[in-house]
Amino acid sequence: MSATTRKRFLFPRWANYALPALIVMVLGGALYVPTVVTFGFSTYTTDVGYAPIQPIPYSHALHAGELGIDCRYCHSTVEKAGFAAIPSTQVCMNCHTNIRSTSEKLKPLMESWQTGKPIEWVKVHDLPDYAYFNHSAHVNAGVGCVSCHGRVDTMEVVYQAERLSMSWCIDCHRNPEKHLRPRDQVTNMKYQPEIREGETLEAAQLRVGRELKEKYRIHDEQYMIACSTCHR
Amino acid sequence: MSHRPSNHGGRTYWQSFDHLEDAPSVQELLSREFPGYSPSDIASMPRRRFLKLMGASLALSGLTLSGCRRWPREQLAPYTYTSAERIPGEPEFYATCMELGGVAKPLLAKAFDGRPIKIEGNPSHPASATWGGKLGSADHYAQASVLELYDPDRSRFVIDRSGPSPRQATFEEFSASFAGFLKANCPAGSGFAILSEASESPSVLDMKNRLLAAMPQTRWVEYEPLSNDNELLGVKQATGKAGRAVLKLDQADVVVSFEGDFLGIHPAQVQYANEFSRARRAADTQGRMNRLFVIESTFSLTGSNADERLPVRPSRVELLAAALASELGIPGVSGSGLEPSEKEFIAAAAHDLRAAGSRGLVVAGAGASPTVHVLAYLINSALKSIGSAVTYVQVPDRPASHPAAIAALAQEMRAGGVKALLILGGNPAFDAPADVDFSRALGGVGLSAHLSLYMNETSLACKWHVPRAHYLEAWGDGRSWDGTIATAQPLIEPLFGGKSVIEVLAMLCGEQIDGQAIVRRALQLQDDAAWRKAIHDGVIPGTSYPPISGGTGSMPQVAPASTGKFELRFVGSYSVYDGRFANLGWLQELPDPLTRLTWDNAALLSKKDADALGVKNGDMIAITANGRTLEIPAFILPGTPAGVITLPVGFGRRNAGSVGGAEGAGIAPAGFDVYRLRGTDAWYFAQDAKVTRAAGTYKLISTQDHHLIDDVGFKGREVRVGEKFRSGRIVREATFRAYYESGRQSNVFHPPDYHGPASRLQLFTPPTDYPQADPGAPDLFNHPHAWGMAIDMTACIGCGACAVACQAENNIAVVGKEMVELNREMNWLRIDRYFKTAGGSVEEKRNDPNPQVVFQPMMCVQCENAPCEQVCPVAATVHDTEGLNTMVYNRCIGTRYCSNNCPYKVRRFNYYDYHATGPRSGRYRMPFLNWPDRQQKDQIDPLLWMQFNPEVTVRMRGVMEKCTYCTQRIAAAKIHARNEWKQGKRPSPLVRDGEIVTACQQACPTEAIVFGNLNDSGSVVRKWQENPRAYAVLDDLNTRPRTRYLAKLRNPVREPQPPAEEKHH
Repeated sequence: MSATTRKRFLFPRWANYALPALIVMVLGGALYVPTVVTFGFSTYTTDVGYAPIQPIPYSHALHAGELGIDCRYCHSTVEKAGFAAIPSTQVCMNCHTNIRSTSEKLKPLMESWQTGKPIEWVKVHDLPDYAYFNHSAHVNAGVGCVSCHGRVDTMEVVYQAERLSMSWCIDCHRNPEKHLRPRDQVTNMKYQPEIREGETLEAAQLRVGRELKEKYRIHDEQYMIACSTCHR
Repeated sequence: MSHRPSNHGGRTYWQSFDHLEDAPSVQELLSREFPGYSPSDIASMPRRRFLKLMGASLALSGLTLSGCRRWPREQLAPYTYTSAERIPGEPEFYATCMELGGVAKPLLAKAFDGRPIKIEGNPSHPASATWGGKLGSADHYAQASVLELYDPDRSRFVIDRSGPSPRQATFEEFSASFAGFLKANCPAGSGFAILSEASESPSVLDMKNRLLAAMPQTRWVEYEPLSNDNELLGVKQATGKAGRAVLKLDQADVVVSFEGDFLGIHPAQVQYANEFSRARRAADTQGRMNRLFVIESTFSLTGSNADERLPVRPSRVELLAAALASELGIPGVSGSGLEPSEKEFIAAAAHDLRAAGSRGLVVAGAGASPTVHVLAYLINSALKSIGSAVTYVQVPDRPASHPAAIAALAQEMRAGGVKALLILGGNPAFDAPADVDFSRALGGVGLSAHLSLYMNETSLACKWHVPRAHYLEAWGDGRSWDGTIATAQPLIEPLFGGKSVIEVLAMLCGEQIDGQAIVRRALQLQDDAAWRKAIHDGVIPGTSYPPISGGTGSMPQVAPASTGKFELRFVGSYSVYDGRFANLGWLQELPDPLTRLTWDNAALLSKKDADALGVKNGDMIAITANGRTLEIPAFILPGTPAGVITLPVGFGRRNAGSVGGAEGAGIAPAGFDVYRLRGTDAWYFAQDAKVTRAAGTYKLISTQDHHLIDDVGFKGREVRVGEKFRSGRIVREATFRAYYESGRQSNVFHPPDYHGPASRLQLFTPPTDYPQADPGAPDLFNHPHAWGMAIDMTACIGCGACAVACQAENNIAVVGKEMVELNREMNWLRIDRYFKTAGGSVEEKRNDPNPQVVFQPMMCVQCENAPCEQVCPVAATVHDTEGLNTMVYNRCIGTRYCSNNCPYKVRRFNYYDYHATGPRSGRYRMPFLNWPDRQQKDQIDPLLWMQFNPEVTVRMRGVMEKCTYCTQRIAAAKIHARNEWKQGKRPSPLVRDGEIVTACQQACPTEAIVFGNLNDSGSVVRKWQENPRAYAVLDDLNTRPRTRYLAKLRNPVREPQPPAEEKHH
């Protein structure tokens, strides 16, 4: 070594704290990441189970389940329009003019009928405004109500049954055969595909689904997951 | 250098002088995607510090989980009573009409859940039908009228100013007070005057007659700052009957226009543009093409579409019309006093007219003197084209001159003869002739009231103001230019309790105020079925005005040409019309078709005069005429005749609103008030004006240099692929003769050194290699449809209706002048205007007194091989399987790489929440309007919300956007087609040709845009793309655009000179 020995590099004094700081960060991260992930996927975030209080305690379990009224009696535009219309007061009054017309629970309905002011229902299934879901496109393609809305015919209070997230939509857009049913069974809440001998329910659904996919000329996967299919 | 303006056939295409000269400012615009933007300008901190802070905020945003919570609770309010045909969320169309300048525009209004959101033309009415009655077209004024309906600046209350301070009142109070005053002070209407906008509406005329029957002494005055007085006078002089010319431009092979702007500002513009373009497109199928000669003193839209154009001073137009008449053998006129070039032009026009015979047509415009109208009538009569190419129809007689009428009224007001004045619409305090001084006269009237949409200049000078019902809120009717009745029905309850003209007149007559009953009575439709049909169709066929037959008027005296140094020419504005649309941001920001100026008007002058005065664009000049002076910035418009200054009226409104100018709120007027120079003595033009350079300059913002397409993509490209890939890739054109004689070959449009498109190189693997549907269809992205578009530049006249329609359909924001200056206008569809001049040197090219013009509508061309997609780091812009280059707003993070890489310059970035800030608020500097996830919705005026198209996402700050061929209309049609197929109502799930109409296509009066499925060999778009005129812009970049342009054809008298030896740069 020469006389002009270079000065040796020394870590500054604060570097002594680097290791403890790193440990804190790693441990903190180990807590932080699972917290965020858990929270992100929790029902609180995805709104599964969201069941707001409605102005009238309308029971789908009674009307659709017990009484067996078809979905389309009230949600009449579901086959021809993007929105499955919330029924007008007049539709309710078709029956309730005579049935339980003095009930305390139906007071808001009677008020609406007399004043002409609409009943303000709280939206349960609320997609972001940039997702353009169209009911008629799905219903006509053999996607049952139950696939997205769950067993509404058993719900006293309507709640959100599915996640309604983009990945949830895409799952079905990739493999529609898992959910397709004949068009005339769309509103049937209890529909099951015909099970052949030795077939599981899943296999039966896949068989029927594939047939229907062909029959209804459901688009291929590339088309179904193209951005413009849902976003505008 | 390669990014020079492109050369073609010895002429050069350019967009501005700076572009022509290759000035440094244009270099900057070309070479930088975001000119005027430097990170150091906006950053108040060093880059590293910025990154540190951003990193920290990213971590924190994760902590607060701002994305993971339920968005605000939403309510659903169904109808109370079921309406049989209404389906929530499905659009409905209602026929209606809008009166502008007394003439109705028949329309279809599209409503979503009771909110009118978009205006289309009424295909059932001849004045707006296109595509053989399949579609209707509406001009840009009508398109923008829906914004007027929801303008937050509309007046909301009846205001009483008769007391010491203004107070809010009710319509009942007004009616009691006004009617009471009339009863007490104006027996039988004496001393009562009504000043009305022009109207030919049967119901208004009916109510007028009833009022005059009840109060016979009432004075009814009509005033309109832009009117067709001279035409009425001229036709009266020629035939003895008040009338006007109804053109049949598709029946004319040769059209000679004197000061006519029938393709620009004309009440029948939609119909005329349609007929004109049909006659031009005959070039494809028949061995002929029409030829348009234009003699004009300003550069109008019509002039820019002329095959032969002669720019002259206004005072020479009569001489030229007389010379043409004399050349065609009309007795009693002299053809002397012409310059040699004028003589040559007239001789050529006369030759063609003679050859065309009854298919020849002479048109005189609103700005031409009555004498010219008489001469036009005489020539048409001699050509025997009356009855075929033109019909003169008789209109209800009226006082001949609008300026004279209002001058006489003001005279009487000053003399105290008017005790009560009711002003129905209009804005005379702003737009009355300057020498009338209407505002002062108004101050002396005992009781004055103004019915108006806005609290405007006139309202503020009146004792009472009554909010007017918008045409979309009221029952009404009107007559189109040829007289065919159009009906109007309300689509929405008056938002602010406004009243229509007929309702106010009914109030004065003491009748019940019921618009529907009044219209029904006036139209004499007592039969329910007939009434319902009229309202449903929006038209009562067979009600056009009767034609005038015969008539031999006296030969007019031709006035000698002025020798003064400058003549002024007053024209209506393409954006704000006469000033009434000054508060509509869509129109203020719509670039003028020729100057491309936004948010302003200017004194338009020739290069020669500008040089003589020593002024550049934006320099203030002082104009003095008839003792009145105005200071206004100058703007050089090539093609303006020397010695003429064109002044577009309607700007400079002091009390238009928060967009056009609001004195009270400290918002300066947009533009300059030209009415201060316009008097009864100088109505359409003024002679002997003095023009001097004034102190100062003014910032004029013209978009002519914005989004310039760089025709080969820089020097680097030249180095890479060699010089043969040169220019001529943007605009292609040829003369009709060359095209016809070549046997309609596509090579006549090719630039001299054209070597065909580059190899079919594919830069990336497409998602699926779909089998080719049929030969000729695209071999990529064609499943199950293959969307494509074609735009015919021979048909396009550059009117801009498409641009406004696009803005209305796609919720496109208005950004304001400050932002336009930074190249940040949001219009997805722009119309590129190229001047084309001859000459060797730049100097010669610049001084060409008569440039040709090319209009090229430019929006995203949906490249199959899209450069934007390659560079997006988050795949926010990707292809779907049908060829749409989709733009996923919710995925975009705003890097702007895509825009930087787009050779067509069609991507637009939201620098701010423009919908929320508004164009003139100056709130741009706020980084956040509110909490990040709620900003726009909370800030946008709820009234403006109502105009939004619910089918299209409203984009927020930091998001890129662009045209996607109206993907919402495509989706709606596809879903509809498949539903019908599945329900067994149609044989195929595919969309039929013509089922999808894009917003621009629907608005286009000339049918220049067509959209459809390229897989369908029978589709119109496929046929157009197979036309020999079809080409892809910048095809050498191998972007493989789905939009093709059809090359422009001109039909000049003489073939242009063979291209001079071109210097390759």
